[in-house]
Amino acid sequence: MRFFDLVSLIAYNLSRRKGRVALTAIGVVIGTAAVVLLVALASGLQRNATNQFAGVADLTIISVYPKWEEAMMVEKVGGGGGGGSTTSTVQQLTTPVLKDLAALEGVEAVIARDSLRTMGVLKYGRLENYAYIFSADTPDYSVLGYELAFPEGSLALKKGELLIGESAMQQFMDPNWRPGRPEVKQPENLTGQQVKLQLTRWTNEGETINKTVYMRVAGVLKAKNGETDYAVVVRMDDLTTWNEWAMGTRINRNKEGYEYVMVKAVDTRVTTTLAEKINEMGFNAYTPQSFVEGINNFYTIIQIVFGGIGAIALLVAAIGIANTMTMAILERTREIGLMKAVGATNRNVLSIFLGEAAGIGLIGGLGGIGLAWLAAQLVNVLAAAYLESQAAQMGGNAAGPAAYIAPWLPIFALLFSTLVGLISGLYPALRAATMIPVLALKYE
Amino acid sequence: MGRNKIQALAGVDLVIPPGSFTVIMGPSGSGKSTLLYLIGGLDRPTSGSIRISGDDISSMDENALAVYRRKKMGFIFQQFNLVSSMTALENVAFPMRFAGVPGKQRLQRARELLAKVGLDKHARHRPTEMSGGQQQRVAIARALINEPGLILADEPTGNLDTVTGYTIMQLLSELHTAGRTVMVVTHDVRMTRFATHVIYLLDGKLVEREQFEAASQIPEAATQPSEGTTL
Repeated sequence: MRFFDLVSLIAYNLSRRKGRVALTAIGVVIGTAAVVLLVALASGLQRNATNQFAGVADLTIISVYPKWEEAMMVEKVGGGGGGGSTTSTVQQLTTPVLKDLAALEGVEAVIARDSLRTMGVLKYGRLENYAYIFSADTPDYSVLGYELAFPEGSLALKKGELLIGESAMQQFMDPNWRPGRPEVKQPENLTGQQVKLQLTRWTNEGETINKTVYMRVAGVLKAKNGETDYAVVVRMDDLTTWNEWAMGTRINRNKEGYEYVMVKAVDTRVTTTLAEKINEMGFNAYTPQSFVEGINNFYTIIQIVFGGIGAIALLVAAIGIANTMTMAILERTREIGLMKAVGATNRNVLSIFLGEAAGIGLIGGLGGIGLAWLAAQLVNVLAAAYLESQAAQMGGNAAGPAAYIAPWLPIFALLFSTLVGLISGLYPALRAATMIPVLALKYE
Repeated sequence: MGRNKIQALAGVDLVIPPGSFTVIMGPSGSGKSTLLYLIGGLDRPTSGSIRISGDDISSMDENALAVYRRKKMGFIFQQFNLVSSMTALENVAFPMRFAGVPGKQRLQRARELLAKVGLDKHARHRPTEMSGGQQQRVAIARALINEPGLILADEPTGNLDTVTGYTIMQLLSELHTAGRTVMVVTHDVRMTRFATHVIYLLDGKLVEREQFEAASQIPEAATQPSEGTTL
């Protein structure tokens, strides 16, 4: 029997009993819709959770610190007697270590970080700003996922230039402001403006020495609910000069290393394994990706549980298919006898009845996907307003759809419902295939 | 189906010559239909063997038997056994689906056969829209679709009035004349007019014509259970 003939015969047989097929398929429709919709809801929740987090942090970045807690333990064991150098026991993030980190597989960039180790006040006209000042040693800050709030700026810093966070720019204070006076007018866009940076250090005698550096604002960093929002970013060479001035000594990066290092992975998929490797090297590596993976694992379990609940509805539908097929075989016993009398093999008969059962599953699956899609649209419309208000409150990216139907989900659902039909039809089809022709023909 | 075993035939030993028109006569329960079903490969004997053109069909596996039914024989039933939802044309073409013949070819051949049995104008009619005689002619056309050498008919006139039954007999006779081996089970004595061979069965056993007629005339004798029948 040719495949096309088999399929056309199955379609013909199903079309002969439209009412019954439709009633049986309704069970599959409901089951499939339940599976698809519940998994879509879990997927939507997962995507929203991940997206919200990804909006706050770049998931390819690993923050690497020296293991300071080990130094503390050494001190404790030592009984606190004598001022043994704690740094000697802790592996520092020195220039050679940075090279080792850069050589690791899956590393796109290694960026050393340092912050201003003395007091620095940013001045703009009469206004003052006490923002956190740090540097990441990179020629272009776009590599860290930084974005400009205003297009005219640049993320590549030249000597004497800085970047300021959008929120930090709104935090200027007027030292002469007194209650009752009008509110301080915050600058709207500092890009291209000149600001003064007043650095302060204290001598051993307690004398205050100030130093003023003129800086140009190269760009304003877009607010992302991250660390750059309230910070000022400068070049590493500028920062090192100021720190050396503040401490009165030269900084040897080969010995003292950096405060911390940002390791950028090529892909979020390698972030966690890379962090583990760096931990093994004797450093503390933190990545938001491990948190996100935790969220993902949680939602995968939710998806399985939700899918399982939907599958119960499909199981009930499967019993319906088995029942319908068993009845159909009883009704069509003489027809089965005839098919065999005119030369159908057991396999032909088995294929026809299995195909009919699978066909009911397929029809139900298609209906279920359609129903789930409609329901998902409805859920999304209803949930959109609520999720948007949540995103506004909590920060992070705007909410995505509440029910997300991944491309694989309808395909999986269709295959699954067809398989459910196929399995349900197995027993009735086997019964049909193994009927003795003469008995089937005489069946009343 | 069928928990109780009934011995329908015992010790039947016969040879049907190729190209013959054989009529199997016998009253109800004589085992004549069982004999036909065994020859048609629709049932298996519990013992003994059936050879068709040298092949022992009783030892064939299910697949081989299906191929035998498809290629070597065509079966005609008393109840016609047409698929009620299919048209006459589709019913005739139906067996060719299992032979893997393309749709166009199937319908072409079915049309030719319907014309042969005089029903070319009824090709689109469903069985419920046709008379019993027309339905049986559709069934005969269906039996011929795979061009079998052997035609087996189980009470083909049983559900028809005498005139229609006679036309069906003539049609079967024409098949025989065209070179096919025809075996008909009936208790309609008119059928013997067309037969080259007549076999008489009584209570599952082959008997001579005289014995058969004697039993037919004395009902008491015919209703006595024979040794070969166990219930």
